[in-house]
Amino acid sequence: MENRDFVKHHCDHYEGHRFDQMNNRKYGDREVDICIVGAGAAGSVLAYELSKAGLEVVVIDAGPFWNPQSDFASDELAMRQLAWNDTRLVAGKNPLTMGHNNSGRGVGGGTVHFTGVFYRFHASDFKVRTLDGVGEDWPITYKDLEPYYTRIENDIKVSGPKKFPWGEFHGPYPYPVRNPISANAQVFRRGCEELGIRSTVAPLAINSAPFDGRPPCTNRGFCNQGCMPNAKYSALIHHIPKAIGFGAEILSDSMVTRILTDKSGRMVTGVEFIHDGMSFVQKAKVVIVAAFVVETPRLLLSSATPQHPGGLANSSGTVGQYIMPHSGHDIYAKFDDEIRLYKGTPVLAVSQEFYETDTQRGFARGYSFNAHGSRPVSLANTLISRAKIWGQQLREIMRDYNFYARITLVGEVLPDIKNTVTLSDEKDEYGMPRAVVTFSYGENDNKLIAHGVAKANEILEAAGGYPAFVVPDTAHLHGGCRMGADPRTSVVNQFGQSHDIPNLYISGASVFVTSGGANPTETVMAIAARTADHLIDKKNKGLLENREKTTRVPAHAR
Amino acid sequence: MAAVKTNYPDYNVLDRLDEWDSHTREIVRQRLGPFPALKFFSEREAGLIAIIARHIIFDDREEIINWVIHHFDSKMAAEIGEDQRKVGTPPEKVLVRDGLKALDHASRVSGRKDFAALDTDQQFNIISAMQMGNAPEVPDWSHIPQKELFNKLAAVIVSAYYSHPTVWSEIGYGGPMYPGTYLRVEQGLTDRWEATRDGK
Repeated sequence: MENRDFVKHHCDHYEGHRFDQMNNRKYGDREVDICIVGAGAAGSVLAYELSKAGLEVVVIDAGPFWNPQSDFASDELAMRQLAWNDTRLVAGKNPLTMGHNNSGRGVGGGTVHFTGVFYRFHASDFKVRTLDGVGEDWPITYKDLEPYYTRIENDIKVSGPKKFPWGEFHGPYPYPVRNPISANAQVFRRGCEELGIRSTVAPLAINSAPFDGRPPCTNRGFCNQGCMPNAKYSALIHHIPKAIGFGAEILSDSMVTRILTDKSGRMVTGVEFIHDGMSFVQKAKVVIVAAFVVETPRLLLSSATPQHPGGLANSSGTVGQYIMPHSGHDIYAKFDDEIRLYKGTPVLAVSQEFYETDTQRGFARGYSFNAHGSRPVSLANTLISRAKIWGQQLREIMRDYNFYARITLVGEVLPDIKNTVTLSDEKDEYGMPRAVVTFSYGENDNKLIAHGVAKANEILEAAGGYPAFVVPDTAHLHGGCRMGADPRTSVVNQFGQSHDIPNLYISGASVFVTSGGANPTETVMAIAARTADHLIDKKNKGLLENREKTTRVPAHAR
Repeated sequence: MAAVKTNYPDYNVLDRLDEWDSHTREIVRQRLGPFPALKFFSEREAGLIAIIARHIIFDDREEIINWVIHHFDSKMAAEIGEDQRKVGTPPEKVLVRDGLKALDHASRVSGRKDFAALDTDQQFNIISAMQMGNAPEVPDWSHIPQKELFNKLAAVIVSAYYSHPTVWSEIGYGGPMYPGTYLRVEQGLTDRWEATRDGK
């Protein structure tokens, strides 16, 4: 049935209004210009930019089309549903916590429950091999992304300080800095000041003043559970509705299970997806996989064909390799007075004083510090699972929940070929092999963590706190389909175009070559906007559908 | 079980229940019971979960334990994924169900009784040993990794416990907040409805 309620959720199709059934798809059997798999940070920016430029775009997302007013709640436990809950098998010396820790499900993806911390990467991040002899250089530089960082920040009116002390961009941000800041952020800044460490109020994708019909932040503090006032940017409430306005179609609750290729195996022709137990096809001139670090490799690997026995875009064998989280250790100290970690935007103060390599520290690269709020369920869970604290001790710590302050490390993790996404023998509900996510820290990573933890404790102590406990944790994911100039060691080129199949693109954190030491969302969005410009340029030159110009034959076919 | 004294004896997060949005209100209200019949666990299994919960959360209040059991049971009955599972660990339905049996078997080895019949200290020792992977040797452990069993039980129990509004009140957690707004977020400041030690 046609539904003209613009924000009703769990519908399947938009064309200015929504439909509950798949037989009202906008394009049906017809081939569109672009099919995007995943409506998260990357896919939504692509959908917006490409539809604005007049391309026909269909976005397919596995999860629901959330309605913040009726689907979100001020509750940690209930809002775990915003994460990708499907079981992933984990392995390695430091098996990763998945789910809410590093993924999103549904339209908007991870932006629906991210903290909104909006950092640019530094120039050094793109050439760590050249500068530090570790990891790998990116095929792009900071300068290549700079215009896209600026565009994204302006498009969503990032709030931030007049002067940002580190990296290449020193402000001012489009919207005013947040004021006031929470007690936890104040304590952090006080500790930093005592030690001569520069800190600043965080740059945030959260309104500090009204913008685009959305209000300023109310300090509700539930960024990680989905913003109900719509003060925080998410792709769900910004890029996706605008893309729809430009004609894009969003198919929600639809799991893409296969990328389809033509008989020769040289081109992709569209995707197959399952909605409500039924299988459908969306044909497209270009397919962009923007399904994050686990699902993107899983889809490529499980779409193997006789021409691509190791999976699509995988002649190099690097699909699924070099995945990196951030080391995300939480450092807690107890104070005599209440801090109340539940209150206010979770991250309101940060420091990148230790971001760049300092050879005297004995390790390469560095990290950001985020003064970070916390809620009872996640605090108790990390204490028990990561710090092995339970029973009476847990109850006593939790009784004094209000007296703890927290700093979170966002530490660079170097790429390692042994950290991978592979396919298991176990099948999921769609008949696809489950992903195995294998991760172990390397020596450099552990030295970096030790430095960060010690520094954070110094800051908290200088602010009058008593170091209490450290919870080893990770955050974010990157890599698995890294970009590069050399088709033998990378999956896509600098524009996200796969080396093997010219009309198959990949976007999002999976194309990262290194992890940086900062929250990645802004870089994800900037890379997506750059890929969009590249595709628009191709369209304008009439090259989008030029199927004969195969630049490369997969290695195994030569 | 020794009482853990709250810093905020006069604070009740539910005083503001009517100010919350209806979705949140409904979610939290359901945690107060009454709870529907068990869907996954047998009565016996639910009893074991209750015992384990009392040790993990160090609390034996029946109304809270009942919510923990209900949450655990709903989670086990649901088809939602488990986020992550270590390679070599069985799916959570098997891990928990067979794990509870293993716990009984291990108890018979060490205490010659079922787990529920052991005294509190003996139960505690078995749970502690399981956390370290050192529970008394029984064949069940060959397919039930002890540490993973402990982690699963603990995670589900703790998640439910710290989602109960009575516990929120005791720790002075501000709880749900919408459509309300925090105005006084800086250190030393509180909005009028927040928990304060002097109760004012």
